[in-house]
Amino acid sequence: MNRSLVILLGTLALAMVVFGSSYAVSRHVGESCLTQPGNDLAWLRQEFHLNDAEMARIQKLHSDYLPQCAAMCQKIAAKKMEVETALNGATNVTPVAGQKLAELAALRAQCQAQMLRHFTEVSQAMPPEQGRRYLAEMQRITLGLHEQTEQSMSISAGDMHGHH
Amino acid sequence: MNKENMNPADEKLSAWLRASRVSPALPPRFQDNVWRRIEDAEAPVPSTSRLVWLDALAALVLRPRFALATVTVLIVAGALLGVRDGSQIARRDAQARYVAVVAPDSLR
Repeated sequence: MNRSLVILLGTLALAMVVFGSSYAVSRHVGESCLTQPGNDLAWLRQEFHLNDAEMARIQKLHSDYLPQCAAMCQKIAAKKMEVETALNGATNVTPVAGQKLAELAALRAQCQAQMLRHFTEVSQAMPPEQGRRYLAEMQRITLGLHEQTEQSMSISAGDMHGHH
Repeated sequence: MNKENMNPADEKLSAWLRASRVSPALPPRFQDNVWRRIEDAEAPVPSTSRLVWLDALAALVLRPRFALATVTVLIVAGALLGVRDGSQIARRDAQARYVAVVAPDSLR
């Protein structure tokens, strides 16, 4: 093979190694420097540029909300167990199972409303523009997934109706 | 030398010399080698301009100043991209951690 070609191919390989190494090391360093393990609210401060006073207010709201959220999660988990018990071995949805499902849905709706109230309170503890952005982002994350699922299901159901 | 002027003894001598000449044996794979050399000779030669271009580029790459500048650019570009991607990953992780705390999986 031509000597010049060997030199160029070797240089190219070396360049890829240099670039790849630099990229990998920097990504690791960047990731580890910006990660704050144990601080659940780090994202809020970074993303919404909050000062210490705002963070203190949000920290208080967060601390008050967590026990309520945990209590609601326990209720939902207990209700799920009741639904599973009611459905266990049944070949049909019995009235009891239907009742339990309705209660589970009600608990989830209650929990969701509580969560959205918390998001609203947190958004009000931020500067107005950041608060609006936070609220929109949290609604998109927590409710958007439901919308996507429902949309995809309604599209597939529409297709099935079209075929039949 | 004209044949008509040749002495009959010379003719005899010539015939004897011809008969006594030993033809050397052909080397092994003589015919293959001949064909190979013919094919090599007929094969397209890389254009001179391409060779010149490659040589010039190789010479440029081997220049210390050029090599140093290239390595510097590669390191800086890799570092910038790496830091950008690393911060995005850290941001996504932090967001996921917050959402996991405030919005239970059963609601999402």
